[in-house]
Amino acid sequence: MSAAAKVSPARKIMQDGLWTNNPIFVQVLGICSTLAVTNNLRNTLIMVLGVTFATAMGSLTLSLLKDLIPRKVRMIVQVLVLSFYVIIIDIVLRAYQPAISKQLGPYVGLIITNCILMGRAEAFAASNPPGLAFLDGIANGLGYGWVLMVIATVREFLGFGSLFGIRIMGDGFTPWTIMVMAPSAFFLVALALWIANVRKARVAAAAEKAAKGGKA
Amino acid sequence: MKLDRNSVVYAAVFTFVVCVAFVVILAVANQLTLERVKANRLFEAHFAVVKAFGLADAATPRDQVESAYTSLIKEKVMDKVQAYTAEIDGQQYVGVRLTMPGLWGPITAVLAADPQGTVIRGFEIIDQQETPGLGGRIGEPWFTAQFRGKKVRPDGTIEVAQGSGKGNFDPENGTVDAVTGASRTSDFVKALVNRSLAFVREVGGSL
Repeated sequence: MSAAAKVSPARKIMQDGLWTNNPIFVQVLGICSTLAVTNNLRNTLIMVLGVTFATAMGSLTLSLLKDLIPRKVRMIVQVLVLSFYVIIIDIVLRAYQPAISKQLGPYVGLIITNCILMGRAEAFAASNPPGLAFLDGIANGLGYGWVLMVIATVREFLGFGSLFGIRIMGDGFTPWTIMVMAPSAFFLVALALWIANVRKARVAAAAEKAAKGGKA
Repeated sequence: MKLDRNSVVYAAVFTFVVCVAFVVILAVANQLTLERVKANRLFEAHFAVVKAFGLADAATPRDQVESAYTSLIKEKVMDKVQAYTAEIDGQQYVGVRLTMPGLWGPITAVLAADPQGTVIRGFEIIDQQETPGLGGRIGEPWFTAQFRGKKVRPDGTIEVAQGSGKGNFDPENGTVDAVTGASRTSDFVKALVNRSLAFVREVGGSL
């Protein structure tokens, strides 16, 4: 993996967020919302956009303020800034997209409880320049997003026989009720984690083997 | 002057300033959109009433909904309930708007029927806080559409029961499908519908 050493920081951030340090697979953050929203693709997509926006803007703001924030109160400031963006999303949706706001109900407010927001603020934005912090927010939002969309596709398809509310299966289809309920998300997240980690272990083993082979 | 970032005074002042700055922006944003949000809420309530009376569907433009509301529907304030009446094709209908408990918070809905409360004209949810994706699905069109034209049972009630989960559209059986994975919310909706029917008969009797 000698090429990895040469990649630009921006590219590395994207790779990390989407795969190598994916918030769901590796950091295991944001699992609560994964369980809650993924029985419906439309709600999932809106949740993902909300989390991505709040993480990116929150990280950008916190990175800009990082030299001014006293260490003692940094978490208070992080929560303040992140909840600020979540409330902004809520206000904008209520005023300009009332139908979506109504559909999402309490979930918009719950974006703040998504551990990815605080996790990235503390792990990345607190010690990196604003541009990269913003990109890190986008990368983690998208890394969280694609996994959620995959899970939501399976759950909505099997649970309702539809995708984005559009019926795919005919009347003869018997919906899998379990897919609509939270437990199915536990199974699917666990399966996804398993598959991702097996793949990663294989890649790592292959790299190790190649390195050993090179030495010999 | 060099700032000591570790001093208590700096931490207190910094936190205060940052809090004030962000809260002021939020307050301004909230104030700027307040009228719009109020107008949206009012429209949603009118839209639900018009839909319950079968005078509009999801695709009806906003201005037509408002004109139908003002020209065809009469508001009637009763003791315990907000009622509406409308004459459609020479037939009188009664609607009631009622708020009752749900699983997580109050559910507000409007139900329209004939004055005797024997056939439901329509049922629409105005506001609810049920679990999105589960109980929250009571607001979806397939669920509320089941009530349209539904004959009420001889005992004056509607049954909300476990079914295929796709909707029960037989107008004769007095039963609608509950929402899959939301039995409790469905029970609350049943109570709301049956109470509303009782009010419809009460209002219908006083016409």
